[in-house]
Amino acid sequence: MSTKQTIAVIGASGSMGAAISKSLSKGNNRLLLFGSEKEGVDAIVNDIRSANAAADVEALECAANASWEADIIILAVPYEAEKEIAEKIREVANQKIVISIANPLNETYDGLVTAPDTSAAEELQKLLPNSKVIKAFNTTFAADFATPVIDGKRVDAFVAGNDDEGVDIVSELVKTAGFNPIAAGKLSVSRTLENMQLLLIRLGMKYNYNWLAGWKILSN
Amino acid sequence: MYEVFFRSFNERVSLTKEEEEFVKQFLTPKKLRKKQFILQEGDVCKYICFVEKGALKSYSVDANGTESIIQFALEGWTISDLYSFLTAEPATYNIDALEDSELVLISKASHETLLEKLPKYETYIRLQITGAYIALQKRITSVISLPLEERYKNFIALYPNIAQRVPQHMIASYMGLTPETLSRVRKKMNLGK
Repeated sequence: MSTKQTIAVIGASGSMGAAISKSLSKGNNRLLLFGSEKEGVDAIVNDIRSANAAADVEALECAANASWEADIIILAVPYEAEKEIAEKIREVANQKIVISIANPLNETYDGLVTAPDTSAAEELQKLLPNSKVIKAFNTTFAADFATPVIDGKRVDAFVAGNDDEGVDIVSELVKTAGFNPIAAGKLSVSRTLENMQLLLIRLGMKYNYNWLAGWKILSN
Repeated sequence: MYEVFFRSFNERVSLTKEEEEFVKQFLTPKKLRKKQFILQEGDVCKYICFVEKGALKSYSVDANGTESIIQFALEGWTISDLYSFLTAEPATYNIDALEDSELVLISKASHETLLEKLPKYETYIRLQITGAYIALQKRITSVISLPLEERYKNFIALYPNIAQRVPQHMIASYMGLTPETLSRVRKKMNLGK
């Protein structure tokens, strides 16, 4: 694959958005970053450029314009903000891959706000019916992107979606970010994946993993 | 976002509002900036690209690195590496933007679904591919057998006003001439430099 992919990161000034942007700038990607805090986004762009002068990255001031130019859109915003963003990008995200990274945690971090028979990813798919919503990067903490190998093991990162080609394309991005991609199934598997991260967050708080932890399936 | 696309569609096959909405579900809107690629040689061509606004060109590069322009696409035109799109073999063409452009892309999956679900789409595509085939045959005949002045006249008939938007060396490349030869032809035809 030599044709550059254009990826819009919506919510690039947040910790996850910034971490994903930095990781993906290492691949054959053109990044368009959008975030509610302009200075924050500019700082990420400068960080990426100073680490890699050849990186193709730019800050854009409109989520819809960034998504219009993009082949792939990453929604790195909290679950509560997805509805508003979805309204803005719905038309230009038609037929495009939209990556849902959100975990719909409640305020006290001890449960999910979504009903058991749905997930943040499936709710996003309802908001963007003609887009290919793919769940990814939800079981990895922001700090993991700088250290995707923990205790000598490459952290697994799960990818779920109803569009097989989309799952393959996103799995390649996961690989670019340094994680081991595992295609986990249809989009409804996101219910499990979002609960897995809830558990990891709970355990992290209990055992003080310092936000540097991940899942690894062992097999032989 | 899809105005020119549906105008072009309706000129060939008339769609009801409901059919337009149905087709719209399968289209990918995409902005491309000047000099950016929508396809590079060696990749599989994933889309039929319709130009809503702007201009693109397709070209191939020979072993010496010389570019030969295959096609220009202005508003209302479609462009792709049809061979690669239909066979899923690696593309032999590159396609990039001559100006900031707005495109309507039809992916292979969308194309297959529309062919199956909407006979009017099949008609539209048949007319498009027929047109492309006729244009290709004309172009080959022109290169093989017509004098340069005739070839240039045909080119201008096919792409009116293109000279204002595309540099002469690209037109020369499309015609398989050196820029100097093209300039001589134009002088002879009193078209200035």
